Amino acid sequence: MPIRILSLPGKDLQYALKCMDLGDIIAFSLCSKRTKNLVKSSNRKMDPPRIHTYENRIRFEIQTMIFKNCYEYAFLDIFDSYIELNRNWRYEAWRKQEFTQADWIAHFMSIFHGLMVEELTMETISLSFLDTVKQIIPKINKLEISHLCSKELAKTAFFKLAPISEEVEVEKNIFDKKKELFKCFNLNLSSVNFDNSPTGYQLDSNDLLALKIKDLTIEDAVITGKELNRFLKLWMKRNHTFYRPRYLELTLRQELNREEVFKGIEYQIVNCERQLKRRDGKKLIISINGEHLTLEFRI
Amino acid sequence: MSSTEQGTSSAAPAEPTTAPESAAAPEVPESFYYVHGKDKVVHKVSAGALQHSALIHGMISNLGYTEEQAKANPFPFENIDGDILQMVVDWCNQHKGKPTPPEDTNLPKQKEKLFDLVLAVNYLEIKELLTYCCKQVAMMVKGKSPEEIREIWMIPTDAEDEAAEKEAKKRAGKEAAGETAAAAGDAK
Repeated sequence: MPIRILSLPGKDLQYALKCMDLGDIIAFSLCSKRTKNLVKSSNRKMDPPRIHTYENRIRFEIQTMIFKNCYEYAFLDIFDSYIELNRNWRYEAWRKQEFTQADWIAHFMSIFHGLMVEELTMETISLSFLDTVKQIIPKINKLEISHLCSKELAKTAFFKLAPISEEVEVEKNIFDKKKELFKCFNLNLSSVNFDNSPTGYQLDSNDLLALKIKDLTIEDAVITGKELNRFLKLWMKRNHTFYRPRYLELTLRQELNREEVFKGIEYQIVNCERQLKRRDGKKLIISINGEHLTLEFRI
Repeated sequence: MSSTEQGTSSAAPAEPTTAPESAAAPEVPESFYYVHGKDKVVHKVSAGALQHSALIHGMISNLGYTEEQAKANPFPFENIDGDILQMVVDWCNQHKGKPTPPEDTNLPKQKEKLFDLVLAVNYLEIKELLTYCCKQVAMMVKGKSPEEIREIWMIPTDAEDEAAEKEAKKRAGKEAAGETAAAAGDAK
């Protein structure tokens, strides 16, 4: 026997929605604009979604805490004209007239108050779709660009989406030219991690001086002791100038020559690490451990 | 007016028989009240059972009716169907003086009456029963697709909603025009 749910008193209706599981609430939100707005106003607490892009689909992983340490999950695969929901290991395909992939994503971002995506992992996606992603998703906590992406896609995705991401991980070398790396270092980003690259990331003192990324980690970096020495000397001279980076970690292809790095530089040993101190009071702690170099900038 | 007696049949206090004198606390005689729905069938319910309903509890808390006065003045709930009120009374009697467990198997299962039950329970402010009813409502669509949900819960499509909205606006416009005309007529 049918029941006119929308005629129930507001509070009861909201309580009924609260009792529904994640898959049911998603289905309900797709019934009409009114039901979508009801789900939106239900203030159901959702963790920001995780999104993976594949060649022919975009996967949404949504989770909600039922009670302490107990979560309920929903996995949605969004294809061009339909979505597939995995409910209790049963796949269901749902269609909605005139809904495109972008409409589906906008719908889910909207019903779960999606101002933020927890993780966006890009494997493959059309270049044109990147703009749509940027329009729909205002903020990303972690952007992962997979090694499976083409170089062109990975590069475009980085320059389009990194500015709205808190943390970026790039699994392939996206820089063809030196000036592209320089351009990237000049972006005001929070945290970037460049993974292994067969060609290595060629760095020099100018790159490090231009760096504006707060927290940068590079694996397979290539820099000489001489260039690093030049950077340290110039950093020491730059009194009372703002330098944004706080932490730089490089895994080098070749071990550095410590003598070359610290040639002509006055430093102190504090807690077994070399510390440079500028006249304006700013400090730089340098740790060289085999092929591992970390620079920690302290105000 | 017919009458059905629910719950404890005797209004007289039970006499302690075996309990030692020192442990026997004086028992307060249980009071009863009477309610009826649309069908005018009167249900006798103990004050303890009625405590579940915040509405009725608020009404009776300061009345201090005698048994006769209570019988002569049943609470009328004309907006509630008789069979629905019967369900509510049964539930209140079953749960007199004890909290409802999260999964209550003794609760009414009649889905066809669920909607009316929710409205009645909401009106009578029986929080625990309302919680259960809302859960039952939610269970109706468990594992269902959007199309199935639309059917079960009679959800209008966007087009139907828009048409209804247009109609409502049209009606409101006509009513407003009618009122203006009437006011103008009065002024003349």
